[in-house]
Amino acid sequence: MAQNQAEHEPVLNTERHIKYYLRCLKTFLPSAYTSNDSNRMLLAFLTLTGLDVLDSLNSKTTPEERQTYIDWVYHCQVPSGGFRGFSGTDFGAGKRRPENEAWDPANVPATFFALVNLLVLGDDLARVKREECLRWLPRLQRGDGSFGEVLGPGGSYDGGMAESPYREAHSGHTYCAVGSLEFLRRASVDTRSVQLLSPGSLQFETLVAWLASRQTSELGDENDDDEDDSEDEDDAENNNDTTTHSQTIDTDIESLRLLDDKILSLPKIASIPGDTIPCAGFNGRCNKVADTCYSFWNGATLAMLNRSAVIDDVRNRRYLLDRTQHLVGGFGKVPGDAPDLLHSCFGLVSLAFQGEAGLARVDPALVTTERVVRHLESLPWHM
Amino acid sequence: MAEGQGKYASDPEWKSITPIQLDDGSDSGAMPLACIAYPAEYLEATSYLRAVMAANEMSERALRLTEDVISLNPAHYTVWIYRAKILFALEKDLLEELEWLNGVSLKYLKNYQIWHHRQVLMASRAHFPTIPTKELDFLMEMFAQDSKNYHVWTYRHWLIRHFQLWDLPRELEDVESLIKADVRNNSAWNHRYMLRFGPREDAPAAGMVNAGSAMSADEKGILTVVDEDLVDGELEFAKAQILRAPENRSAWWYARGVLRAGGRGVGEWEGFAGKFVDMDSGEVRSSHAVEWLADVYALEKGEKAVEMFTLLKEKYDPIRKNYWDYRIQQVVV
Repeated sequence: MAQNQAEHEPVLNTERHIKYYLRCLKTFLPSAYTSNDSNRMLLAFLTLTGLDVLDSLNSKTTPEERQTYIDWVYHCQVPSGGFRGFSGTDFGAGKRRPENEAWDPANVPATFFALVNLLVLGDDLARVKREECLRWLPRLQRGDGSFGEVLGPGGSYDGGMAESPYREAHSGHTYCAVGSLEFLRRASVDTRSVQLLSPGSLQFETLVAWLASRQTSELGDENDDDEDDSEDEDDAENNNDTTTHSQTIDTDIESLRLLDDKILSLPKIASIPGDTIPCAGFNGRCNKVADTCYSFWNGATLAMLNRSAVIDDVRNRRYLLDRTQHLVGGFGKVPGDAPDLLHSCFGLVSLAFQGEAGLARVDPALVTTERVVRHLESLPWHM
Repeated sequence: MAEGQGKYASDPEWKSITPIQLDDGSDSGAMPLACIAYPAEYLEATSYLRAVMAANEMSERALRLTEDVISLNPAHYTVWIYRAKILFALEKDLLEELEWLNGVSLKYLKNYQIWHHRQVLMASRAHFPTIPTKELDFLMEMFAQDSKNYHVWTYRHWLIRHFQLWDLPRELEDVESLIKADVRNNSAWNHRYMLRFGPREDAPAAGMVNAGSAMSADEKGILTVVDEDLVDGELEFAKAQILRAPENRSAWWYARGVLRAGGRGVGEWEGFAGKFVDMDSGEVRSSHAVEWLADVYALEKGEKAVEMFTLLKEKYDPIRKNYWDYRIQQVVV
């Protein structure tokens, strides 16, 4: 079975994906999305971006439709600047007052997604309350310069970045940290002295190593059990871990006297022929199973570092197309999962980074197509 | 459900409130994006929520309403902030709130807001001058469900900092029992590192080791004062765990972090890693040992490093073929 998988090259079911997105765009999302109600601006971003990466947004929607979508995004603009994440906190005209506006706040991610959504839809941002937004945003900044999470290198010991220093390194947070630096660089802030962005520096190379280490053939799907059974004899790692799992922790230095013997009594690991691993996705933390969205988080970070070449793009492609791409269109989180908006968009974008035929090229920091970036740059007030 | 038929509309307690229906912009001609097929109960409950929020109402009924909305959408972010404000305004028993929250936490394992709410409550020195006795027990209950839950670990990290629990024996005991149960639990390894080597003050630099501006970035992560016994002890701990599972990346990377914290290089473990790799017989007992040797050799002996990288690329870690090629290029140049 593994041999067959390695030989056949899977295909991107473009038409199915377009149908999936049009369903998400033009009909109701299932009620299971209620727990994502607060993030509707993000859901809108994932829908529009997915369709745009498929190069179908402008052909499958009319200018009139796009205008009414634009109106909804502006409907979510907060009078005091910025955008709310969903219309559900809006009290309605005339009811918002200084005493209750805390319950109808703008937030930073929603504002970012709203602006990108407007650009994707071809809007010129003329109705954005720019002055109010620019007055609101700095008020969220903390004394140490951070906004939301405290991001930055030097925290974790293994090269990645975390929610805050000394927390476990995580690909999503690592993407945000590198992305923030990338935006500073694009805004002509001098980032040459930033070790993290300097090829050859210890920080840069450790980060690349950490990102490359996120690629894994541990998929955590039901088929894995079967494969493990059949490959147990070849899999020294699994053998060893299961047979020693029940041993007690023994930190006594005395017990390490026989270190040599102990090491030599360990099973030797077998060579892994490349063709026995048909696909490999990415995890977001060490020793976790692969998940579609981490193909994006890690891949986009490497793209910003100009190190996309270190990943195994062929196996990533097979993981996405053979294992998490869904029959009805879209991508699931892990093999066998139903598709959802986040994993569908990030699966497509990961493939777009690798130059998948039929997909538009995507800017890794803005997570939008180059068409939209050109539109942004064409706006009269753009720097 | 027709308007006026829901449980709030038919409840005399809510008669004084005029619900505010969801305005999704349709009236002004907008076409809403990401429309969700909301359950009728959610639409009704949130219409009353908007009404009490607009009035800034701090009341028992509003508190119960927040519980209802949370049960329908635990990730509704303003409802949690509103609930916290009511709890403090009505001077509610926060231990009772924690009990309720425990149940919600076990039901919605992946939720962020729940843990932020818990932190908001626990941060009140007036209510919690010291850590409540059952707090750490409950966290272990959470870890029994998902021992790598990022939100719970983040909260535990905050607890240590807030209550200064660095030397509480329970911390290390819990971490050891989690590593014992699953030696590949990288979250537990990370927590151990933080306990052992994390800065103990709430410095403005948010806890970065050696965060002084005069230091080069490459020196970050190195302790100013090194307890060599501590470093040695942690290295022995890592060795013992590596013997349990030689292919476990967490333990090998922990050792790298320990050496770095102590200002000691990877070269110190050349001998230990070398025991896993016998080039004469071609016997290898850990691919991470091969990587370790490659990194040691890459510092000076180019050829031997290439040999190790090639071993990884061709035999033991073919997924990272392109990465090992990248490393080979760097050594050869």
